[in-house]
Amino acid sequence: MRDLSPIVQTVSELRNAFDRSYSLPPSSPETEQIENMLAVRLSGNPYAIRVTEITGLASNRKTVAIPSPILALLGVAGIRGSLVPIYSLAELLGYTRDMEPARWLALCGTDDEVGLGFSDLEGYIRVPMAQVYPASQENKTHEYVKDVARVGGLVRPVISITSLVEMIKRRCAENRVSSKQR
Amino acid sequence: MWTFGRKIAAGFTLAFLLLVTIGAVAYRSINSLTDTSKSVTHTHEVLENISEMVSLMKDAETGQRGYIITGDQPFLEPYNNALNGLPKVVEKLRTLTADNPNQQKRISQAEPLIKAKLEELQQTIDLRRKGDVAQVTQIVRGGAGKKFMDDLRAVAAQMEQEERELLAKRAEEVEAAASSAQKTIIYGTLLCLLLVTAAAFMITRSLSGQIGLAVQHVQSSSVELQSTANQQASGAKESSTAMSEITTTIGELLATSRQIAESAQRVAHIAEETSKAARSGDQTVEKAHESVTSIKRQVDLIVTHMLDLGKKSQQIGGILEIINELAEQTNILAINATIEAAGAGDAGKRFAVVADEIRKLADRVAGSTKDIRVLIEEIRAAVNTTVMATEGGTKAVDLGARQFTEVTTALKQITSLLGTTTEAAREIELSTKQQATAVEQVNVAISSVAQATRETEASLTQTLQTATQLTGLSRELTRLIQPTASA
Repeated sequence: MRDLSPIVQTVSELRNAFDRSYSLPPSSPETEQIENMLAVRLSGNPYAIRVTEITGLASNRKTVAIPSPILALLGVAGIRGSLVPIYSLAELLGYTRDMEPARWLALCGTDDEVGLGFSDLEGYIRVPMAQVYPASQENKTHEYVKDVARVGGLVRPVISITSLVEMIKRRCAENRVSSKQR
Repeated sequence: MWTFGRKIAAGFTLAFLLLVTIGAVAYRSINSLTDTSKSVTHTHEVLENISEMVSLMKDAETGQRGYIITGDQPFLEPYNNALNGLPKVVEKLRTLTADNPNQQKRISQAEPLIKAKLEELQQTIDLRRKGDVAQVTQIVRGGAGKKFMDDLRAVAAQMEQEERELLAKRAEEVEAAASSAQKTIIYGTLLCLLLVTAAAFMITRSLSGQIGLAVQHVQSSSVELQSTANQQASGAKESSTAMSEITTTIGELLATSRQIAESAQRVAHIAEETSKAARSGDQTVEKAHESVTSIKRQVDLIVTHMLDLGKKSQQIGGILEIINELAEQTNILAINATIEAAGAGDAGKRFAVVADEIRKLADRVAGSTKDIRVLIEEIRAAVNTTVMATEGGTKAVDLGARQFTEVTTALKQITSLLGTTTEAAREIELSTKQQATAVEQVNVAISSVAQATRETEASLTQTLQTATQLTGLSRELTRLIQPTASA
């Protein structure tokens, strides 16, 4: 049987680290500029989302499908006591819908909150600003990708959530107009 | 095809027939000659009687003349003899010439003349006796008596003439018959010789051919017999050798049978020992069976504990899932707290640090949870493997227990069979001894057969010699029958 001592050591290290974080005085403002991002994978491709562009992260929320002319709309889900439309982030970026359900929801917008669903969250990453570049013609895979982040030797396109939300709102407005005209 | 006897009989029959024919012809000729001779004799007798008749008449006349002249009585003796003899002679003549009418007629002519003459003589004698010589002379001078005598002589001469003619004729007949008989005998003998020679030649030729052929066959058969005798002699020699080998082999077989009997005895002894060992083994197996049953109970207990351990591992896995879920939720909360802190601007920076620490801890807990899950999975897999191995062990123990039962049964069967084996080994021993006795008898019989084979070989050698001699004799016989062919 496997030796359990590394596990015990890991648990001990975790406890010590957690305790140490409270035993140390509050850290001084960071001299290095850091960009907090969520590392996601859409249809197998690595992407990054700026934490500052979303209003929250939820998981395992039941999404009820509703008919809509917008193909990327997965349905609506109950978030903090209100119904939020959920869109497939992969489909918004032009990929086919993932076979796996959108387990993760990135909530965006303040007034009309919108959820962007994706199936694979790789983790929370802290990227120095120096490692974030404007997307070149070569790296610009989509119109909603403005920047790229180099993380661990891997270049991740950074999705502009703000542009996406604006595009969704614009489409909704167009649909409402066309519906009224009909 | 005619047989030898038939051919020879035919040849002899031909010769016999020819001899009979010649004999018959000769007999007939001799008969004819005899008859002719008898006739000649008869004729001579007739001639003799005629002469005697004439002579008696002369004697009577002579006696009459002497008495007349002398007057003496003794001179009448011829006369008296004639008187007595003449009737007999005449009668005899008549009898002898009964088959001749001419002679009978002449006898009839002669009789009155004889009577007349004798009466004239008697008259003259009577006259002389009376002394009347003159009358006598007158009568004599009268010539009547002479005439009677002349006539009688003439008749006698005629009779004699005819008899002589008959005699000449019969002489011719005799000559002809003799000539015929001679010719018949000569020509018949020649013919007989020719025919007998021809028959003898043909029979000899035929018999030579047939006997030669038969002898050739005999010769060929003799050669074949010689060859066969040779082969049989060779075969008998081989048989004799084979018999010797068989005798040797049977001797070895006898020794082997004795060894088998000894081995069977040993097997019976070993089987008894084995039976004892099997009974002892049966008890040992019973003990081992009890041990295996105890092991089975222990293994069942281990399996129960391992299954409990598996359930506990599953429960640990469930708890770990909860921990993982908590870590994930903590992570989400930390991320949301970070977002909220970022939205709070500078006031939320310190909160952001705390949230980041919480998020890091959640990350680490999630990582550790993955490790623990792997560990738990390994434990479960190990437990499963152990359970399966233990179940396999249980099955093996069950199998072992069943096998021990089977071994016990088998040992009982072995004990039983060993009893049968002991009995069979004893029977084998007894049978092998009987077989050894039988083999000894066979050995004796084979020795007798070998002796007989040697005798057969000797007799075949003799047969071969006989066949060789027969071949030589056949060649000799062929040479005797067909000299040119054999040459």
